[in-house]
Parts: sequence; C-alpha cells; structure tokens
Amino acid sequence: MSPAGGPSDTKKLIVEGLWRNNPIFRQVLGICSTLAVTNLVLNTAVMCVALVFTVSLSSATVSFLRTFTPRNIRMMVETLIIAFYVIIVDVLLKAYWPEMSTNLGPYVGLIITNCIVMGRCEACGTSNPPKTAFIDGFFNALGYTFILLIVATFREVLGMGTFMGYALPYFGTPAWDKWIIMVMPPGAFFMLAIVVWIFRSIQIAKEEGVK
Amino acid sequence: MTREKRWFPILYMFVVTALFSSIVIGFTGLTRRRVEANAALAFERAVVAVFPELYEANMGSLEIHRVFTEQISEPDATSGGAYTYEQAGQVTGYALPFAGQGFWAPIEGVIGIDTDRKTVRGIAFYEQNETPGLGAEIVKPPFKKQFEGKVLAAGDKPIRFCRPGADLGASDVHAVTGATQTSTRVEGIINEAVKQWQSEVGRKGDVP
Repeated sequence: MSPAGGPSDTKKLIVEGLWRNNPIFRQVLGICSTLAVTNLVLNTAVMCVALVFTVSLSSATVSFLRTFTPRNIRMMVETLIIAFYVIIVDVLLKAYWPEMSTNLGPYVGLIITNCIVMGRCEACGTSNPPKTAFIDGFFNALGYTFILLIVATFREVLGMGTFMGYALPYFGTPAWDKWIIMVMPPGAFFMLAIVVWIFRSIQIAKEEGVK
Repeated sequence: MTREKRWFPILYMFVVTALFSSIVIGFTGLTRRRVEANAALAFERAVVAVFPELYEANMGSLEIHRVFTEQISEPDATSGGAYTYEQAGQVTGYALPFAGQGFWAPIEGVIGIDTDRKTVRGIAFYEQNETPGLGAEIVKPPFKKQFEGKVLAAGDKPIRFCRPGADLGASDVHAVTGATQTSTRVEGIINEAVKQWQSEVGRKGDVP
C-alpha cells in the first residue's frame, strides 16, 4: 500500500475497506465476533461502533509510534494499544450505558482479540502515516459493520420477529413461526455463509466482467 | 543507534505500558463511582420491581432510588436475609435475593414473597447473560408475570417449571421452552433460595 496523500488515495482506501478487501467476505477476519454478537441488531450496532473506534484509533496510534517501536516487540506494543482503547470503550459502556454493557457481556473485552484490529495495525499501521492508518482502519471497520448489520437484521427478524427490539408487522405476530435457531449460534453460521457466498459471487462476477 | 541497543526494547515497552496504564487507571478512577452506582441501582430496581404496586416500568433511576430508600429495609435478624417492604412499621412483603449459575453466566435476581411467606408477589432479574431470544426471555414481562400470585409449595420444589402449554397448578409456571437449560437452572436457583429462606424464617403465621 502506498503512502497516502491526495484524495484519490483516500478513495482507494475507502473502496478497499468497504468492498475490494472487505474484512469479512474477503479477508475472512473477525468471524468470531460476527457469529457472537449478531443476534440482535442493537447489540450489533453498538459492537460495531466500538470496533470502528478501536480499529481506527489503534491503527493510527501504532502508526504514530512506528518509527520508535523496535520491530521485535511490535506485536506486544500493538496488543497493548488495542487493549487500551478497548478498555476505554468497556469502561464508558459500564458507566454510561450499563444495560448495553450487560447485554454485550464479555464481547466488548474480546474486541482485543478481534483479528481485524491487529490485522489492520500490522498491515497498514506499521508502514503508513497516522492519517492513512486511521482512514484505513475506519473503513475496514465500516466494511465489517455493514456485513454484520445485514447478518443481524436477518437473524433478529427471522428469529425473534423484531427489529431493534420493536415487533414487526407479520414477523412479530403469531402468523410467523419464529425460527429460534436463527438467534442461536447455528443461525449465525448459516447467515454468515450465505452472506459471504452472495457477496463473493457478486465480487467475482464483477472482476470477471472487468477482465 | 539507540534503537539497536539491547536494553532499548525493554525500556520502550516499560515506558509505553506505564503511559497507557496510567491513562486507563485514571479513566477508570474517574468513572468508578458511576459504575458502582449503576450496579447498586440495578439491584435496587430489581428489589422494587418484585412488588408490583410499587413499580412502574418507566420509573427513572432517581425515583427507584427514592422508593428503595423510603419503603425498603435492609435484611434484619427476623427476615432471613430478605429485604423487607414496610408500611407504617409493618412488614408487608419480603424481597429475597437469589443467585446461581445460569447456562452461560451467573444469574442473579430477587423474588418478592408475601407476609404469609408462601405467596409470590413478583420476580426480577438484575444479572444474567443467557441466550438472547431464548434463555434471556426470563427477563421479559410475559415470563415474569407468571410468578405473581403463585404459591410456594411445601416440599422439594416450591415452584415448578412446566413445559409451555402444560396445565398449571397453583405453584407451576411455564418454562421458556421445554428444553431451555436456563429454565432448569433458574428453577433450581429459585427453589434452593426459597427452601433455604423458609427453613430460616418458618413457613407461615409465626410473624413476631
């Protein structure tokens, strides 16, 4: 990846993060949290905001320190930085949104081990200026976010008949026999596989069209 | 170059760790009182919520705290570990906290019991991390409402969880589904607490 400067580089970073190099369906990273937090849309949204915050800022911080950090201990430093931001998010939620903190349980803390975060720090943060690293992290996290929201929407609607906690017409009524399995772990595997399949198919079709 | 020195990585790691840790420690310190207040409030809300006449779903935190401090008394020698709801110096109900291991994580809650020490006034959970849409349905009104007015039976199972659709007796409630582990665990936790409590305070009548 070349050091960014002009707007065209920024645009390239955006396209890479959201689509061409999407963390979920292209890099297939961060799958663990994709499976775990997507049974309710609201939980997913909060989780994604936390991830956007963590990825962009830790990548920028790693990049900021990259000229000082000795190479042999860089992973340790990266983990430390990531943990730092995640704990901040966790404490904020505990203090100002305790209900959500209870809902997400251990998953906020587990962002530390989310492969996307370290992946972006390593791939972009260690070799680019902070601004590039920030934009790259931000849009990678958004690429993760939109896939997660798709998965979560289907899981919540089919599994519970609600969207963001509000009962939907038809799905929220007894006429719809709730697919309980959708809010359970297996539902996540099915949905994720289908979503990745669809998006990869579109992507491959487009690439072949270009050639 | 300094970066090539053998001691540099150690010093560097030390400095970076110290820097980030101090920020986190400072930040945690700033929000600690709020975090503790939230935990206390969640418990107070649960205690108040087991007495339906005291509680409304849209009550704000301040109101909950006011009702809790004015109407609820701490456990004393005669209440067997239960909080008491007093009106004009008379105990009019017990709020018995219970806790145990759920399917995924600990479940903690409160059960409200009448002065006859066997009629259930209400139930509330303030700590749980069960499967959303399944085990976590225990915190939803349809599940909790069932407990109001149930009678704690003598014997091994004061409250019995039956599969949904089954006919219910005076001490029975419907489980979330016929096969949720959460229901089994909650049934065990509540019954354990209730039996323990009843053995301490006696079953009925003998209020001093």
